[in-house]
Amino acid sequence: MNGEEPFYKKPRVLLLLIVILASIAAMTVSYENGEVKVGSNLNYGLDLQGGSWLQLQLQGAIVQVSADESKIIQSEFQRLLNDPSIKVEETTLNSVTFTTTKQTTQKIIDSFGFGKSTITQAPDGGTRVSLQISREYSIQKYLENNLDAEIRMIPGNILTFEIRKAVTEDELNALLKPVDGKVNSFKAGVSSDTREETKKILESKLNNLGMKEIPIRTVGDDYILIDLAGVDITTAKDIAAKPGKFEIRIQVNGNVTEHVLYGTEITPGLPEKQTGDQWAVTFTLSDAGAAVLRDAAIQYGAVTNPEAHELIMLLDEKEVYSAPLSPELARNIQSVPVKSLSATTGVGDEGQRRANELQIHLRAGALPVEVDVIGAGEVSAELGSRFKSQVLIAGLIALILVAIVVSLRYKQPNIVIPMLSTSFSEVIIILGFTVLVGFQLDLPTIAGIIAVIGTGIDHLIIITDEVLAGGAMPPDKVYRSRLTKAFAIIFSAAATVLVAMSPLLIMGFGALRGFAVITIVGVLIGVFIARPAYAEVIQGMLVEDTGKKFVDE
Amino acid sequence: MNLINEKMIDEYVKKFNFKQMLILPVILLIVSLLILAYTSYTTRTPEGLGAPVKLGMEFQGGTAITFDSSKTPEQLKEEFSAYPVVQAREYGGGDQKLLQFGPMTESQLSDVINKINSEYSNPGQITQMGEVVSKSLQRQTLNAILFSFIGMAIVVFIVFRVFVPSIAVVISAFADIAFAAAMMNVFGIVLSLGTVAALLMLIGYSVDTDILLTTRLLKRKGELSDKIKDAMKTGMTMTLTTLAALIALFVVSSGSYLVSSFTRIDIIRDISVVLIFGLIADMVNTWMTNVGILKWYMEKTGKTETRVEKPKKRRQAA
Repeated sequence: MNGEEPFYKKPRVLLLLIVILASIAAMTVSYENGEVKVGSNLNYGLDLQGGSWLQLQLQGAIVQVSADESKIIQSEFQRLLNDPSIKVEETTLNSVTFTTTKQTTQKIIDSFGFGKSTITQAPDGGTRVSLQISREYSIQKYLENNLDAEIRMIPGNILTFEIRKAVTEDELNALLKPVDGKVNSFKAGVSSDTREETKKILESKLNNLGMKEIPIRTVGDDYILIDLAGVDITTAKDIAAKPGKFEIRIQVNGNVTEHVLYGTEITPGLPEKQTGDQWAVTFTLSDAGAAVLRDAAIQYGAVTNPEAHELIMLLDEKEVYSAPLSPELARNIQSVPVKSLSATTGVGDEGQRRANELQIHLRAGALPVEVDVIGAGEVSAELGSRFKSQVLIAGLIALILVAIVVSLRYKQPNIVIPMLSTSFSEVIIILGFTVLVGFQLDLPTIAGIIAVIGTGIDHLIIITDEVLAGGAMPPDKVYRSRLTKAFAIIFSAAATVLVAMSPLLIMGFGALRGFAVITIVGVLIGVFIARPAYAEVIQGMLVEDTGKKFVDE
Repeated sequence: MNLINEKMIDEYVKKFNFKQMLILPVILLIVSLLILAYTSYTTRTPEGLGAPVKLGMEFQGGTAITFDSSKTPEQLKEEFSAYPVVQAREYGGGDQKLLQFGPMTESQLSDVINKINSEYSNPGQITQMGEVVSKSLQRQTLNAILFSFIGMAIVVFIVFRVFVPSIAVVISAFADIAFAAAMMNVFGIVLSLGTVAALLMLIGYSVDTDILLTTRLLKRKGELSDKIKDAMKTGMTMTLTTLAALIALFVVSSGSYLVSSFTRIDIIRDISVVLIFGLIADMVNTWMTNVGILKWYMEKTGKTETRVEKPKKRRQAA
């Protein structure tokens, strides 16, 4: 003993003991509503508790395009006014002037949404139209009309648009060719704003269904991962992926419609019976939503002629409801934006059925972009629990086999027991870690734990053989220098494992991230906490127990 | 019973010169590379050579579903012939079957799921992988393995700072991975997320014993063959404990071949089987390849005896 304090009072051993106790506490004790509870706090992943997961890709594109605004105005108004002889006369920085042989009014021109117009009579008959429009806006409007999609300008030095619809670069080039334009840069995907918006909507949708704390993760800009515990794959897809885009459009004339707002601006109410057995669904618009509805109603003339400018509700570009503004609403909306609206669905049982259906549509919609299910999976609850018990059995058998091998080699319980206990304590600390950081324990994570145990035992063997070279515990000074050498090997070996695992941390789709994180954390816990303590323990155990034997020899 | 037979190690170290030690590993490496090249050649497409290992569903795109059925795989293939069945096979013993489909539309997929749910019992796992993801995963996996290997090589060179011993470790690790990958082809194990994890793990694992060996030989005093013997004793114990644990995992995760209530756990099975092959190769490559190269290097540079500057260094350290 050399008059030193016993091994169990050494700082490294005490540190290990404290960390083990803290891990056990983290795993078993929880504090909720002022009550301390004891029970397992481990979070199991989907593959151990049953459920399904979805990987969603958000459909869209971020593009930089150029085009000639006079060509755009020419081609768009040829179409809108049905006049092949449109001639652009003058283009300045903020305006485009053209003549048409048709007679038209400012109201009609303004209703197309190409900016504020000034109308004069052309000298040789027909109309001369001057539009206050920038090149950027003309391109945006052109894309919006021809792709039938929402286009957002992304702020920045270079003119960049986000197209909230699946489109290819070739399609876009073909579209821009008639207006002397082309795609300068193209990236499939969506902006981070759109991604966050989609994520938020999905979250609220799941919350509405009573599924709290559903982990929704975003990977890169274009992918969203959702884990739905206890839900089968078909239901999961129905919930998350199927309901697409809810949109209200307004009829401009005939079959031509214009976008008004998306489901994001709508808070659906409940189906209710109104006077005269009439069923309806009430809904509320946000301030912004109410404002755009009013603008659209005035701009396209729905306030004066509601019957010719119906409001159309679409879910995933399919019409689910369409009706004109009621005369009363048409009057009111002229003076103030209206936030509370109701959509009538008819009388009797049929009316009620349609009201219920419409309400589901109103609630279900709202994703700003379409999503594709690019990956999905399901593990049934029964299989999950089988996995759980079987993994436990596998771990126990592995531990027993390791114990046998180590005992055959070292034969002394003074070495074997500390070795196995150290290894086991590493498992406990890793499990404690997963609880503290809210990490889910799934099959890849467990594989990571097993991998760490494998390297852990290896390193304990290195320590043991290095310090016991020659068969006996050496004096403290020699022991220290040998231990330094053992740790030189261990740190080098650990460094290679850390480096080898690190690419997985950044590999996409989070596929093996859990495995990598656990391996890395486990190796760090091992080399900095558990293995140094082991070195102290065997020194203490062997000096204490075998000291006498060596005197005899 | 002794785990390590010291006499055998003794004889091996004394009897074999480095050339004899290198024969077996060189043959193994050549055979491994030939197997990988052959797989790559047979899976070639008009665009170029295929992957050196067979790609699993995760890397190809498609859908895999497991369930219980007493029908033979052939009957199931026939029954689902309206859908793009890639393969039907036994899965983990018992009545379990696995059906794998190529890319399908969402409605086709839900038809398949409904059919299985209503007509068969115990639908267990469904995995669906889009082509976009799987293509991207393929590329990322290749990068991950490359970065991982290069990173490991850099660490090894930083640790030893001498060319021959460092490159010996890197060669041994490469031979381990090549052998493990070749054995995947031989035993029909496809590249999955689990096997990728195992290959990366192997990069880290397999150099453990090499680092131990090289450190002991370069930095310790004493007779070369004694140092090799000591290192071998430690290293063999390390590999054997790990192998014991992996065999336990492999058996339990393989399904009901041994215990009827067990079910197959793909990811654990994939990881354990690849690591088992890798560690078998590691025994050969550490104690033949790496020892062989180091023996040759130390005999050539006359470093078989204690290095002169060694005691000085130790005093500084102490």
